Amino acid sequence: MGVEYYLQQLINGICLGGMYALMSVGYSLVYSIMNFSNFAHGGVIMVGAYVGFYALTSLGLPFGMAFIVCGFGSGLLAVIIERLVYNPLRRRHAPSLYFIISAMGASIFLENFVVATIGPTPRNYPTIFANSVVKIGNLAIGLDSLLMIVVSAVSLLILMFIIQKTKIGLAIRACSYNEKASTLMGINGDLIIFIIFLMGGVLAGFAGMLYGMRYIVKPTIGAVTNKSFVAAVFGGLGSLPGAIVGSLLLGVMEIFVASWKSNLRDLFVYALLIIVLIVRPSGLMGKVTEDKA
Amino acid sequence: MRKITAILLAVLMVLSLAACGSKTESGDSDTIKIGWVGSLTGEQAAFGTCESQTLKLLVKQQNEAGGILGKQIEVICYDTKGDAQEAVNAAKRLVAQDKVCSIIGPNASGQAIAMQAVLNEYKVPDIATVATNEKVTVQEGGVLQPYNFRICFIDPQQGNIAASFIHDYLKMNEAAVLMNISDDYSQGLTKIFEKSFTDKGGKIVAEEAFTGGDTEFTAQLTKIKESGAKIIFMPNSYQEIINIAKQARALGIDATILGGDAFASDVLFDAIDVLDGSYVINHLSLNDPELEGFRQQYKDEYGQDAAVEMNAYMVYDSFLLWKAAVEKAGSADSQAITDAMTQVEVQGLTGNIKISAEDHNPIGKSGCVEQVTKDGYLFITKIS
Repeated sequence: MGVEYYLQQLINGICLGGMYALMSVGYSLVYSIMNFSNFAHGGVIMVGAYVGFYALTSLGLPFGMAFIVCGFGSGLLAVIIERLVYNPLRRRHAPSLYFIISAMGASIFLENFVVATIGPTPRNYPTIFANSVVKIGNLAIGLDSLLMIVVSAVSLLILMFIIQKTKIGLAIRACSYNEKASTLMGINGDLIIFIIFLMGGVLAGFAGMLYGMRYIVKPTIGAVTNKSFVAAVFGGLGSLPGAIVGSLLLGVMEIFVASWKSNLRDLFVYALLIIVLIVRPSGLMGKVTEDKA
Repeated sequence: MRKITAILLAVLMVLSLAACGSKTESGDSDTIKIGWVGSLTGEQAAFGTCESQTLKLLVKQQNEAGGILGKQIEVICYDTKGDAQEAVNAAKRLVAQDKVCSIIGPNASGQAIAMQAVLNEYKVPDIATVATNEKVTVQEGGVLQPYNFRICFIDPQQGNIAASFIHDYLKMNEAAVLMNISDDYSQGLTKIFEKSFTDKGGKIVAEEAFTGGDTEFTAQLTKIKESGAKIIFMPNSYQEIINIAKQARALGIDATILGGDAFASDVLFDAIDVLDGSYVINHLSLNDPELEGFRQQYKDEYGQDAAVEMNAYMVYDSFLLWKAAVEKAGSADSQAITDAMTQVEVQGLTGNIKISAEDHNPIGKSGCVEQVTKDGYLFITKIS
C-alpha cells in the first residue's frame, strides 16, 4: 500500500470530519450559552435531510436552491423547538438536567413524527453529480466529497466570521462568558438564544443535505449525529474552534482505525469520549470546566 | 346453617370463576388467533410493514371466504424494532397474553433465533419468513428446534449460489467481501461463500467488515479498491448496500456488486445510478408474471404506490402452509398444528412447499440471480 492509499484515507477522514464539524458546532453553540447538550440537534439534522430530499424531488429545485431551503427549513425548526420546548423551561429557571431530558424527548419526538408522517422507508437523494470523480493519479475524489469539504469550510468560516467580527458575535461571546452580566449590560438574551438556534439549525440543515448526498436518509439517523457530539466533547464543548478541530481529528482517526480494524471503530470513538471526560473534561480547546451533560 | 350456606356459595362462585378462566384458556372460542412479529420500525421497517400488511390482507380475504374450520381468524402484530430482545418480548406477549396458536415471522435470523426458548416453553409453532440462518431451525450440534419452521431457503444455499454464480457463471476467480460483523445473517453467508468459492479454486482478495448501524464505509472501500477486486460480495441489507455503493462510486470503484436476498427491495431503484448492473440472489423472481395477481390485490388494498417486497410472497406462502396445517390438524391446538406442519404440501407463490421433518426447512428450494437495471430486475439465471 503506497502513499496514495494513505492520502486517500486521509481525504476520506477529512470529508467525514467536515460533516461532523457542521453538526458539532450546533452542539457547541447551544452549550456555550445555555450549558446543556441539545440532543434535539440530531433530530433537526435528520429533518434537514428530509427537507433537502423533498426540495430536490417534489419541488424539483436546483441543487443550490435546495441547499438554501434546507438550511432555512432546519433553522426554522431549531427556533421552533427552542420556543416550544426550552423557552418555558428558561422562564422557570429550570436546572440544566431538565433541558437535557426535554432535548432527548424532542429528539425522540422528531424521529417518531417522521416515522408516523413520512414513513420508515428510507429515501435516496437523486444524483447530483452523476458519480463524477476527480482523479489525481490513482487518487479519486468524488465531486460530492469535494463539495462536502468546500461547503463545510465555507459555512464554518462564515460562522467564525460572525462570531469573531460582528457585533452580534461579540454579544454571543459575551453571553457565553457570563449570560447574567451580559443581559444586565443591555444585551437581549432572548435574541442571542434565537440567533444561536437559528445558526445551529441552518448548519444542521446543510449537514443534513450533505448527509443525504453521502448516505441514505431515514428517521433513525442516530450514529453519525452521536459521533458528532463526541467530536464536540473531544474538541471542548462550548468552543467553536474546538468543535471544528475535534471533528476533523475524530473523522481522520476514525477512518484510520476503521481501515486498520473495522470492528474497533466505534469502540475507539466511544472510548475516546470516556477518556476525554476523565482525563481532560474541557476537551482540546474548551475553557469551561463545569460538568458536561 | 346460614354461615355454612354462605361459605358454600362463596366456594361455588370461586369455582365457577376458575371454570370460566380455564374455558377461555383452552382456546375454545369463535376465533383462531395468529400472531406476527417483525420490524415495523428501524432498519428493516419496509420489510416488516409489507409483511404485516400482507398477512392482514390474507386474513381479511380468508375471513370473507368463511375463515378456517368455520372460525374467523384474528391476527395480532407486534413490532420487534429489529431487535432480538424486543422479538422475545413480542413472542412472549403473543403466546402468554394473547394466546395465539401460531406465529408468523420474524424476517431476521437473529430475532428468530432469540425467540426459540419462548416457543419451546409454550409449545407454539413459528414460521419464519426470510430468516435464512441455519440455526433458526437447527441449533448448534444438530439440535432440531421443534417449534421453529421456515419458508425460505437457508444461508448455505445462498452462499453456494453466490460462489457458483461468480465462479461458474461470471467466470471470475477473484472476489472481495464486505460483511456486517454484528449480524448472524451476514456472517453465516460470508463463511459459506468463502468456503465454497475457495473450494472451487477462487481467491478472496479482500475481506472487510463493518458493524451494524455504520453508514461510513470509505475506509474499508479504499482497502478493497487496493485489492483490485472486480466483484464485491455484500451479504448486507439494501440500505447498507446503497450507502456502500454511493461511497464506492465516489471513490472511483466500479466493481460489480453481488448481494444476498436482503439486498432485494424496491427502494434500490431510487439509487439505480450507483447500483445499475448489480446482482441480487433472490428467493424468487419478482418479475414472475404469476405473482402479478397478488401484487395487484396488495396494491388495491394499500395504494398503487405501496412497495410489494419479496417478504409479501414469503408471508403469502407461510400463510398457505399454516392454513393447510390447521386444516390438517382439524383444530387450533398449537401442538396439533406443529405436528401437521411437516405433513402438508402446498403450491405456493415461491414454488412447491413441503417442510422437511428432519430440519424444518423447505425441501429443494432453488434460488435465482437477478440483475438490477434501470428497467427493473432482469432475470439472469436459476441456481439450485
